[in-house]
Amino acid sequence: MNLDLTWRLLKGGGRRGLLGAWLTLGAVAVATALLLFAVAANSAFQARAERGAWRNPVPATSGAVAIEASRFDFVRDRAITVVDLAALDGRTPEPPPGLPRFPAPGEVWLSPALAELARELPADQLAERYPAPKGVLGDEALIHPDELVAVVGRQADAPEMTAARSDDWLLGKPPVKVASLAGTPSEDAQAYRMLSLVASVLMAVPLLVFGGAAARLTVARRDQRLAALRLVGATPGQVVGMTVTEAVIVALAGALAGAAAFALAVPLLAGIEMQGGRWFAADLFPGPLVLAGVLVAVPLLVGLSAVAGLRRVVVSPLGVAKRETPPAMRFVRVLALLAVLAVFPMLTRGTSVSIIAAALALAFLCVNLAGPWVVGLIGRITAGTARSPARLLAGRRLVDDPRSAWRTVSGVALTGFVAGFLGLLSPATFDQDAGGPPQLRITAPAGQADQVVRQARERLREAGVTAEVKPVKDVVVAALGSSAGEAEVDRARTALTGLVPGRTPTTKADDGRFGVEILADVRVGTIVVLSVSFLVAIASSGITAMSSVLDRRQTYGLLRLAGTPLSVLDRARRSETLIPLAVMGGGAILVGAFCAMPFMIGGVNATGAITLGACVVAGFAGVIGAGALSRPLLRSVTADPAPRPD
Amino acid sequence: MNDVLVGRALAKRFGQTVALGGVDIAVRAGEAVAIMGPSGSGKSTLLHCLAGIMKPDGGEVHLLGQRIDALGERRRSALRRTRFGFVFQFGQLLPELPAEENVALPLMLGGVPRAQAVRQAREWFGPLGLQSMESRRPGELSGGQAQRVAIARALVSKPAVVFADEPTGALDQQTGQETMRLLVEATKHNGACLIVVTHDPNVAAWCDRTVEVRDGRLLTSGALA
Repeated sequence: MNLDLTWRLLKGGGRRGLLGAWLTLGAVAVATALLLFAVAANSAFQARAERGAWRNPVPATSGAVAIEASRFDFVRDRAITVVDLAALDGRTPEPPPGLPRFPAPGEVWLSPALAELARELPADQLAERYPAPKGVLGDEALIHPDELVAVVGRQADAPEMTAARSDDWLLGKPPVKVASLAGTPSEDAQAYRMLSLVASVLMAVPLLVFGGAAARLTVARRDQRLAALRLVGATPGQVVGMTVTEAVIVALAGALAGAAAFALAVPLLAGIEMQGGRWFAADLFPGPLVLAGVLVAVPLLVGLSAVAGLRRVVVSPLGVAKRETPPAMRFVRVLALLAVLAVFPMLTRGTSVSIIAAALALAFLCVNLAGPWVVGLIGRITAGTARSPARLLAGRRLVDDPRSAWRTVSGVALTGFVAGFLGLLSPATFDQDAGGPPQLRITAPAGQADQVVRQARERLREAGVTAEVKPVKDVVVAALGSSAGEAEVDRARTALTGLVPGRTPTTKADDGRFGVEILADVRVGTIVVLSVSFLVAIASSGITAMSSVLDRRQTYGLLRLAGTPLSVLDRARRSETLIPLAVMGGGAILVGAFCAMPFMIGGVNATGAITLGACVVAGFAGVIGAGALSRPLLRSVTADPAPRPD
Repeated sequence: MNDVLVGRALAKRFGQTVALGGVDIAVRAGEAVAIMGPSGSGKSTLLHCLAGIMKPDGGEVHLLGQRIDALGERRRSALRRTRFGFVFQFGQLLPELPAEENVALPLMLGGVPRAQAVRQAREWFGPLGLQSMESRRPGELSGGQAQRVAIARALVSKPAVVFADEPTGALDQQTGQETMRLLVEATKHNGACLIVVTHDPNVAAWCDRTVEVRDGRLLTSGALA
């Protein structure tokens, strides 16, 4: 019976009722799509880490079947991962992922992107380094589709598999005897996964707040009607049942729409470059279990939030009908935030990343908990000092319903927290190449520098590359002419390939490439998190502003009818948002920056400060813009000459 | 010749429905007029046209000799704020403002400083039997008390005309009678005229005369004095 009545109430809600349902549906769809993105980002990094694991060998304790080593080569401004594999005598190892068989000595297999690049560039710049490739590596061997990887088969006693190599992981992996090529996710892959977990937490919390706001939107539209139902004798259970059912029906439709929107956006999202390349689209699709979990969790959350919003109706049917003063917020909300901030540095000192993520989530939730209390305080100050009707209305409205005002600004305030946290966290810019003519350097085996210099001169001369080659201790330095471009550098690299087994000639820029890449990835990550937070914040404030107009249409209509200019109502609405936004946005940035301090390596950098400033400007502009979108709605609802209650 | 508000040949249609079919009405200074009629008769539409809330399709409205129906929305809005007062069935008070600020709001909208506006607003609480209710919010007032606050708000800016649309519709008989007494007395004491839309003869009885609307036309002869 409840379901039937609920469905009739939903269908018969009229134009405005349906508009509210559409707003809720839209809000839930946006929240679901972004939540799926936050979750998918995690699983995508996990998938990358697992696919790249075979290149991070685990030394065999017994039963070794092969030797594996890796190093980095470079072409243009990109890194090539070169994996050397050799079967131990008499052993037939399982092939690595993406290869049909274990590579025989002398065989070369290239990733599709490297094979294509080798075809595009002149042979003496790249292809001659990897002659006669036997085939192309499958996707299972690659971290991302643009990755440049070469697998080279060797004899177990070849110099490449026996010569000493640097044990700096940035330069590759020294030869290791392995029992299988399963490997384990590398340190950098683990670091990316942890960062993506932190990013997911930062994105997910505003989404949960947004989901809750969407649910309240349903309740706000219905509270008068449900209070009326209570007045005619509906039991609390029936009222709760009807509300939850309605909220869940709308939320489920929104969640499905959001999942569809996310699926459509995947090709676009797959184009975001991380770790030097785009994504396999399949990595960004969460598994069926995760998808089902989100599709169940979102409507459930919306239903629970709806129940929380209905508490007052259920407790007292007159509560909503008479619009009594809501109970004042408790100061304990602020105490909770202060307590978390006090212990935050201790929580994050030398503990695991999961505890840091939990502490961050806790701080985030406490900002959300303290928000309404602070908004109420701001409201009392604004109302107390107001001289104009608009500010008086805004101040009293903030005091009357600080939770609703907080919902409008919470998105940007929480984004401020993210920006404050990430803005200061950005590492300082790495030193790029110092300029001047390019130099290729390669470390010679001990005592063989002169011999390597002679060979290098010979090879470069044969390749037609003009360079001055000289030893600096054990390092052989080939200084190219000042007019040498990237093609000349790659010709020199190709000529010097294999000069010292297991080592690659590199420029200074090559050596700093990983630092630059990590910095670029942190920036891209920051921009992605901020973009998601802003989308949530702006959608949230737009939807809240519209629902606020719908909720208060009778009062607005009567005020306008009695001659109150639309501009006064508009100014009041704007102040209602901007005053708490200015205070809360600023406060949240400071809290975010405070939480970032334990993680800071260097000082505050300019990029971080600019990101932070842009965040504040974009947040304010977005919220004002989203609020302005509800002005036609305000005009339309107040144009009704005879506003009547529902 | 001391007509304050005059409507001549007022006509209004909503699609195919004729809400007003050429209505003539005049209200003298200090006069209280009741507009009665069944639901859908056009009485609320007549009030909206006279108050400048709605533009009539035909006819004219004059306030103190000045034509107001042809004014733009902005000027009609200013007129409603300064020369007219309104009392509705319910819902006109802002729930988040205390009673005194609800009353002071029209003054503040007119540019009166807040402290002075609140002081002037408080002067209305005693005569209307609202002593010590100044800082209560509408949710904490009874229906009758809330209507008396609405009466104070309608009168605080010293309007020429007070429009009341079913002002006792949400009140019990006794409270309704008391509210009407206060509305009529306070309006006359203030020198304003009163136009009340109602379907209740007991409410209409408080007014000096009654005009009856049926199918968009006046039935009674009291249309023009």
